[in-house]
Amino acid sequence: MYGSALCSALKVLRSKPMFAYPIKTFFVMQFYRYVVAAVIIVLCFPFPLLAAEGGEYIAIRKEGSGKIALVLNKLDAPVKDASEQAQSLDTIIHDGLDFTGLFTMISPPLNVKDNSSRVNFGALDSVGAAVYAGGSVTNISGAVSLDMEVYDTSGAKLVLKKTYHGKQQQLRTIGYAFCADLVKLLTGKKSVFGSKILFVSKNKDFKEIYECDFDGHELRQLTNSHSISLTPALSPDGRYLAYTDFSSGRPALYIRDLSSGTTSKIDKSGICIDPGWRNSREVATTLSFEGDQALYLIKVDGSISRRLTFSKGIDLSPSFSPDGNKMAYVSDRNGLPQIFIEDLQSGQVNRLTFSGRYNTQPSWSPAGDKIAYTTWESGGEINIFVIEVDGSGLKQLTGNSGENESPSWSPDGRMIVFASNRQGPKKLYVMGASGENQRPLMQSEGEQMQPCWSLFSP
Amino acid sequence: MTELNGATENDKVDAVVQGVIFLLTINAKWSKTMKRKINGIVILALMVTAGCSSRSAVTAPEPGGSQAPSPVISSPVTPPVQTIPLPVAPEPSLSVSPSGYGFDQWQTGPLGDVFFDFDSTVLSGEAQNQLKQNAAWLQNHSLDGALVEGHCDSRGTSEYNLALGERRASTAKQYLVRLGVASSRLETVSFGEERPFDTGLGENAWSKNRRVHFVIKK
Repeated sequence: MYGSALCSALKVLRSKPMFAYPIKTFFVMQFYRYVVAAVIIVLCFPFPLLAAEGGEYIAIRKEGSGKIALVLNKLDAPVKDASEQAQSLDTIIHDGLDFTGLFTMISPPLNVKDNSSRVNFGALDSVGAAVYAGGSVTNISGAVSLDMEVYDTSGAKLVLKKTYHGKQQQLRTIGYAFCADLVKLLTGKKSVFGSKILFVSKNKDFKEIYECDFDGHELRQLTNSHSISLTPALSPDGRYLAYTDFSSGRPALYIRDLSSGTTSKIDKSGICIDPGWRNSREVATTLSFEGDQALYLIKVDGSISRRLTFSKGIDLSPSFSPDGNKMAYVSDRNGLPQIFIEDLQSGQVNRLTFSGRYNTQPSWSPAGDKIAYTTWESGGEINIFVIEVDGSGLKQLTGNSGENESPSWSPDGRMIVFASNRQGPKKLYVMGASGENQRPLMQSEGEQMQPCWSLFSP
Repeated sequence: MTELNGATENDKVDAVVQGVIFLLTINAKWSKTMKRKINGIVILALMVTAGCSSRSAVTAPEPGGSQAPSPVISSPVTPPVQTIPLPVAPEPSLSVSPSGYGFDQWQTGPLGDVFFDFDSTVLSGEAQNQLKQNAAWLQNHSLDGALVEGHCDSRGTSEYNLALGERRASTAKQYLVRLGVASSRLETVSFGEERPFDTGLGENAWSKNRRVHFVIKK
């Protein structure tokens, strides 16, 4: 491959015809071109490992079992002050990587480092590790540095070497920055690290909106309405939070600018519920001020852009295709609620769901190919299904576990967060996009519901 | 003139540009994987030539820094809301000491609740009789208005039930208006499944929750 690079280089170098310059000038210029090209080549090729290996790992993963065998070695703390931080970062990185479901986490063998403290690839090979990650932590008066090295164990190639800095209160941010780099390197795609999950939590008679990290940590309360706040929806750029709230005595829609803290209120007569973002400037919601419960497109300043649905009856729960041109929503135009898709450019409407008598809560996948939704089944269970946008490939993801509601996709499309009462009170759970590995998102008191997973952090 | 002395400054710039173009050309010719690699290389090369350290570093943003969003936490909560109670166990019936949202008004208020079948907004004969009584009371108390609340049972999904509750409320309101009550005296609101009269499970509780409830406004 270097050969072909050089051929291309020579072609470029020859591309300007000789006769364009006097002969001496040509040779002098040619000299400059060679010098520039040589300098760039010399600068580049000592570090070919960094970007090049991603594609190879993706190939390995596709052929293999689907999981990457990873040894995450205990972080060193060469200076005593940092041992506490090293231990915390160990846990943060281990749990964060484990959460993604991409890795088989292998315990480091005892002789993972040889006598001269170098990585012992023989030992890694014997435990079946494909990737080794390890590093050290320093803490200088509260400023933490995490030095990480990642090796491809076959061939003992260094594939990532990077230092992450932050304050000691930000260990989670530091650890996730490494996790994000590692997943990007090994899969070629962005990861969930840095994304947020918004949800509703019930406290006595009140419901308030909270947010947490993608893995359930760092809980924060976003509303304090002492009322009922429902259906949080974060704009794709993460700047605006739209939600319904009863603090004025009726369900009104609020759009909060999270960067400035200002809030606009859409307070039409009738209901104003269940927002879904079309893009970061427009949100669709159900209004009934004209009599019928229809979907309208609203701008972030609260003004109505246009009406989207015109059928008689209830239309609600909009969820948009990634390009914003199509909208999945719930309508009871045929009796019980079913999911429809409207093409916003042509106005054409197609019914998506025909299986199940009561289908609600559509959630369009970030890749644009699938829609997750819930079916209320005749036995009383509520279950989550996934269907292709063309109506084919119906697949049930939950079952025999009570009511499973409000599916929302992770930004990388690998996971779905949802609410379930499978163990009594409603709690948040996550699962793989095919329904595998269903587990609680966090340990929490009370009831949580209506999760909304943010898109990638900007 | 200068040509005789060798390359001009412009020519030197030209040479540098071509050196970069050569890399871009390779980039365009290679496979996707190699593209990624070369992209990385170009960026690295630029970083190196710009005087960066060959060891890249990431600094985590400081919380509360100038770019951090202004605080939106009304009251920070440490691990999830210790005060949230577990749901009340279902009561077998209401015969002992019934309580719940709206119960007193329902039991003793002058405007009686009306009830609905599952996923229905249709007024039964019983419901119509109750609404006729309510209309008569309102016509005798012409200074009072009423808040018409639509409610649903806990089944189904809460978003859909908010919409359904509103349809129940507006159906009841329209019936009262047809009986002569001024529309301006009646305000509708939907609580969906958020304010159940009976928090139990089973049809006995659900049937009490699928209702339109009236609150008198002086």
